[in-house]
Amino acid sequence: MTLDRFPLVQFRVPGIASSLLRFALIGLLAAAVFGPLLNMLIWTVAEAWYFPAKLPIRWGFAFWSKVFRPEAGAMKALSTSLLIACMTVALSLVLAIPAGYALSKRKLPLRSLFLLFFLLPQAFPTVAVHMNIARIFYGLGLTGTIWGVMLVHAIQGLVFAVWIASAAFAAIGEDQVEAARNLGATPLRAFMTVSLPLAAPGLMASAIFVFLISLDEFSGTFFVGVPDVRTLPLTMLNAALEGNYQIASITALLLLVPSILFMLFVERFLKADVLASVGK
Amino acid sequence: MKKLNRSLAISVAMTLGAFSGATNAQVTLNVISGGSQNMVDYVTDYLGPLFEKQNPGVKVSVVGTGPDDAGSQKMMEKLQAQKNAGVAVWDTDVIIPNQQKTGEMVRDGLLLKYRDSIPTGKYAVSQSAKQALGVNVDGYVMPMFESQTALAYNPDLIKTPPASYDELRTFVAKNPKSFGYNGLKGGMSGVAFVVGWMYAYGGNPETIQQGPYDAKASAGWDKAFSELKSFNQQVIFTPGNAGTLDMLNRGEIAMGPVWVDMFQTWKAEGRLAPNLKLKILSPGMPGQPYYYAIPVKAKNIELAKKFIALATSPEVQAEGIVKRFNWYPGIDANVVKPALDPKIWNQLFVDVTPEDLAKNAKPFPLAPFFKDMREQYEAKVQN
Amino acid sequence: MATLRLRKSLPLLALLMPALLMVGLLFVYPLLFSLAYAFRDESSGGWYLGNFTKAFALYGGDIWLTVVVTLLSTALVGVLAVAIAGYLTLGENSRAVAALRWIYRWPMFIPFVVAAQLMRTFLAKSGMLNNSLMSLGLLEPLNAMSLLDWRGVVVTFVWKQLPFAALLISGAMASMDRSLMESARGLGAGRLRILLEIVLPQVSATVWVSLILSFVTMLSALSVPMMIIAGSPTMLTVDMAWRVNSYGDYGVANALGFVSFAMSGLAAWFYLRQGLREGGQPT
Repeated sequence: MTLDRFPLVQFRVPGIASSLLRFALIGLLAAAVFGPLLNMLIWTVAEAWYFPAKLPIRWGFAFWSKVFRPEAGAMKALSTSLLIACMTVALSLVLAIPAGYALSKRKLPLRSLFLLFFLLPQAFPTVAVHMNIARIFYGLGLTGTIWGVMLVHAIQGLVFAVWIASAAFAAIGEDQVEAARNLGATPLRAFMTVSLPLAAPGLMASAIFVFLISLDEFSGTFFVGVPDVRTLPLTMLNAALEGNYQIASITALLLLVPSILFMLFVERFLKADVLASVGK
Repeated sequence: MKKLNRSLAISVAMTLGAFSGATNAQVTLNVISGGSQNMVDYVTDYLGPLFEKQNPGVKVSVVGTGPDDAGSQKMMEKLQAQKNAGVAVWDTDVIIPNQQKTGEMVRDGLLLKYRDSIPTGKYAVSQSAKQALGVNVDGYVMPMFESQTALAYNPDLIKTPPASYDELRTFVAKNPKSFGYNGLKGGMSGVAFVVGWMYAYGGNPETIQQGPYDAKASAGWDKAFSELKSFNQQVIFTPGNAGTLDMLNRGEIAMGPVWVDMFQTWKAEGRLAPNLKLKILSPGMPGQPYYYAIPVKAKNIELAKKFIALATSPEVQAEGIVKRFNWYPGIDANVVKPALDPKIWNQLFVDVTPEDLAKNAKPFPLAPFFKDMREQYEAKVQN
Repeated sequence: MATLRLRKSLPLLALLMPALLMVGLLFVYPLLFSLAYAFRDESSGGWYLGNFTKAFALYGGDIWLTVVVTLLSTALVGVLAVAIAGYLTLGENSRAVAALRWIYRWPMFIPFVVAAQLMRTFLAKSGMLNNSLMSLGLLEPLNAMSLLDWRGVVVTFVWKQLPFAALLISGAMASMDRSLMESARGLGAGRLRILLEIVLPQVSATVWVSLILSFVTMLSALSVPMMIIAGSPTMLTVDMAWRVNSYGDYGVANALGFVSFAMSGLAAWFYLRQGLREGGQPT
């Protein structure tokens, strides 16, 4: 241990300059990340803010009470949003784990074409497609149901789920799975005990992304969910789109809370994996 | 983990149950509104509760689709999707679209002809209640309110604002980068400025506003567009309708075209510097109404009619449209005015007088001219 | 031989099937209806390429701008994400690593539409950025300028996408075998060299995945260019929305959609070839 540390100590000697640089770089990043966020926080409590004032002229919570007035139903919309996001994540993972596993095998014929296929929903701007999607959903009786909304969100998010899952499974390598098979495990058992746990961090990252896409989605929800299902973006992003900074910022803050909780939850998985791979 | 799964499953089931159960208890009137957030707020906070109070057991539920053509296009596509899928009963009872898309919806047979069967139908006297950009919509619509574009300016920076497009050009030539607008694709206030420019310099404004459509009427456009192109070199472009108000607010521009109602709402909410003022440029800037309409296969047609009748009654137009939300009334002003304190009525016309409106408020061009105009702007000014 | 290979891959295809079916039925099938419009002549009801000619004539500049903005943003995201992830993996000052880990991912959860709003007031001429720089004496008021054009879009995209890419890449780096890194360190190799020569090659698949997903997301984002770019030139999504909303013209809109899809297709193809070279196996 002490021997290991010795060169590091040497390395730090010219270090005042380098630690200053490190401090400056991290400070710069913090400013870049938190500057716009601070701007957002100020806007949530700015009641009046105009030229030439550099800070709000009047502070207060007037816009908060506007957002949370009972008629607007923001809290119910938020809980619907969260429910749909969780369901979307579940569905995406159920579809993406087998698909990603299959796509991680290079011997799969037409593999690249399949991968490209999943890119379609995200790559083609949906402005022009939604009417036809809505028509099909009306025909299937899926409009106005929470299931329909979940499906549109899942389609949008599936590329992230499938691609990342595929990359995660591909990164594992065959050796450990073969070892398990040689010890007599069935393919399913080898998958459940070896491949799945090893791919977990990647899968979690994909879940985060699907979750965010679902929370953010507006247009598909309008065509498929309205009038029976309302999510938070539907009730508030309209105001945001049109330049009501206060309402936009309050919406962002509301969306930030569940996302950060989600992040903390995911962090546990990532950490566990890192620990597991250290001893390897 | 298992326990977590089970409790998650239970809460999912409960929420789904709540979704299917909630609608049975009462009738829900589903309203989809285009336009700015203040229009959604109007139904959420004022009209909806009022209607619910008068009709126990009814719940008014409103969703907004956003301003400009984009917002109204969304509701049109939703109706078209239901038509194409052959759905027998549509999920929307009342829609509030803008002028251009209303014309298209009437043409595509998506709307119900209902006006003669409601008591307030007789108050729909304006030209825009009969024609939407040249499409005959008589009987299909009731105007909700009239809106107007105007030049907003900061009197601290500009003592005497330009009164016409000519004066604006002279002013901008002397003070480049003092005027800003949102181009063509950034929202309707920019489009309106371009349309006003074409009315002033493109020739034949009457034909372009009233028809009949004749490609020869646009012979003078080339010159007007090339002048606009050189004018554009001296202006600042703003990001969107709200972007123009923003930049005025931060003092980055001294004037720019805005929607009067949006301007008033922002001011009333304290989101805009209180000193800003309005002026309509001569020979005219366009305005447009938003309409109440009923989809042809709406689920609750009778209730929808009742709702629109309430919304277009003189009392509601006075109290809601004029007093609370600062819009110009959609129905005959002569029946609205008596229902209001004259002081409030006059507040509506602080910057823009009724004479200004009579002289300088214009409609948007006939649909085919409008399309040509925008396409040519893209080809000749933007490229 | 071919049939044997096919039979061996049948179980894999079965695993793939549910996801394929869902995207196929609920997205590609409706998409085909829309795509057909790209080749359709509305006035005569025939089929032609006129929509593409028009799209290139009117929006050629916007196509270039879109390419440049998305590629530049993707490149910046890549470089910065690798730098952040690299420091998280190789950094030796544990406090700095912890601070960085805590800081970098906040913007990930801000929806695009809100990010665009924030940047619109942040990057404007008298926005918070310029105001702060002026208060600190780093900027003369006369030199203040607005970043609300393509530069603002690049800033917003990078701000919003960087955390996602960094998360993915640092995840991949964290699950690497550390012994190689440590022995190289023991031999006296600099951290930058270790990052570029040992770590990066091993996580290159993840880097590519994160970059292509970021690229595609940026390419199809409507709200950011809509709210940030003032005037023209602008990005393709704005033009598509404009064609549909203003003219009801699905033809040119879909032709533009086609172009946009071709761009992401190219990017994806590039990635797949890269993967092939590394895997060293024919498909």
